[in-house]
Amino acid sequence: MQRPTSRFIKAGGGGIAAVAALLLVTGQAARTADHLDPPARTDPAVDSTPDTPADIADVFTWYDATNVNFVITFAGPSSPTQPAFYDRDVLYTLNLSTQKAGTTADIPITFRFGKGAGANDFGIQASGIPGVTGTLEGPVESTLTKSGVSLRAGLFDDPFFFDLQGFKDTKSTGTLMFNKTRNFFDGKNDTAIVLSIPRANFTTSNISAWFTTARFGGQL
Amino acid sequence: MNTNRFSALRRPLGRAMFAATPLALAMMLAACGDQGAGSIVVVPAPAPSTSAPTPTPSTTGTAVKYDVLPCFNQVIPGTGGQTPLSVIIPDTLKLDLTKASGFPNGRTLTDPVVDVTLAVLFLDVNAGGQSPKTLANIPLDPPGNDRPFSLTFPYLAPPQGTPAVASGVGSNFDFRSDADSAYVNVDRMGNPAVATALISSSMKAAYNDANPTVDATQKFVPEEASELTKLFDEIGDDLTGLGLKICAKTS
Repeated sequence: MQRPTSRFIKAGGGGIAAVAALLLVTGQAARTADHLDPPARTDPAVDSTPDTPADIADVFTWYDATNVNFVITFAGPSSPTQPAFYDRDVLYTLNLSTQKAGTTADIPITFRFGKGAGANDFGIQASGIPGVTGTLEGPVESTLTKSGVSLRAGLFDDPFFFDLQGFKDTKSTGTLMFNKTRNFFDGKNDTAIVLSIPRANFTTSNISAWFTTARFGGQL
Repeated sequence: MNTNRFSALRRPLGRAMFAATPLALAMMLAACGDQGAGSIVVVPAPAPSTSAPTPTPSTTGTAVKYDVLPCFNQVIPGTGGQTPLSVIIPDTLKLDLTKASGFPNGRTLTDPVVDVTLAVLFLDVNAGGQSPKTLANIPLDPPGNDRPFSLTFPYLAPPQGTPAVASGVGSNFDFRSDADSAYVNVDRMGNPAVATALISSSMKAAYNDANPTVDATQKFVPEEASELTKLFDEIGDDLTGLGLKICAKTS
């Protein structure tokens, strides 16, 4: 399988460990939110071929007066010198269920990345957005709009906040020690997809959301 | 790191904390955070005994056992009857457009999800003086992001540093058009931290390859209960020592 080699698609990453303190107490690896999880597939400390582009970091969803908003971060936390990850071999899916049980995605929205003609040209293609006929696609690092929907992919500050050092101290001292001024994710970035969909495009007031990644041809 | 500083803090904080109510505890920790070194939350070691040395008793017969079922089934105030179990089973973010946004009703960028998750899994959030925000009000972890979020789309803060960024232009991108069946699952995520905290390493792959329909069969509930029990075995006594009322039943 041919792998992309662009400077904007990099494999690997820092051996980051971010965990709940309680996990450290029990000796498990240090992760939280979903960074570097599952470790056997995404954590360089565990896996010699970590699938960084497919590693989900966080999922957010909320609504405002006009829209239902979704933010998905992945491939992080990365150092401020690293570019984003736009891997055409990864299928990203925002699974939405408007059914009562909330277990089956009646609105699966898929995202794919692709390379353009220019050295630094990358695009995103979204399919299945409610209220949008066909796809919504265009360059990353640009806000794309169609039928009231807004979409943007790009490199952003990692929005997660968490005291990893406090958790390490908890492990080493056997006491719970946290410092609210210490955020392991300070100065780190993620690649992200941001999507806003008009509330009117949903027929129910209850939405269940989860995000999945999959790699073309099999896991690394 | 200056460990002597922590040692110095541990003793005076510890004596006070053992007698503190949760509210008093929160006020004390908040004050600690104003002393320049940040809010370091320390669970103190027991005071040294002044009596004659005696053999260390076996803990086999006296160890506290935790039943975490009450934690999973406690109603989370302000959620219309949601429980930790109904939040994490199935493992999806659940957004009700008739209720205010904010974890566990969806998840906003500013929600202190770690502190809230720890509170609803470990504390009796219906006990007097306690709530899902008990730990976030202290707070244990940083209360917000290092960079302000935008109030408008795309909401996230710009990247740190000066990394190379894509051109933001172009067309005719070479997107794959292969069927979804040509892809193999790698990762899934709904709620923050839950899959990481309550699923052990041996179950990680199976959990990430499952889906909410499988979650709804409660396939992973025994695993999640087992992992939470292990966590209580480690820190349950620390939490009660801080004057907090835990949600697990002890025997």
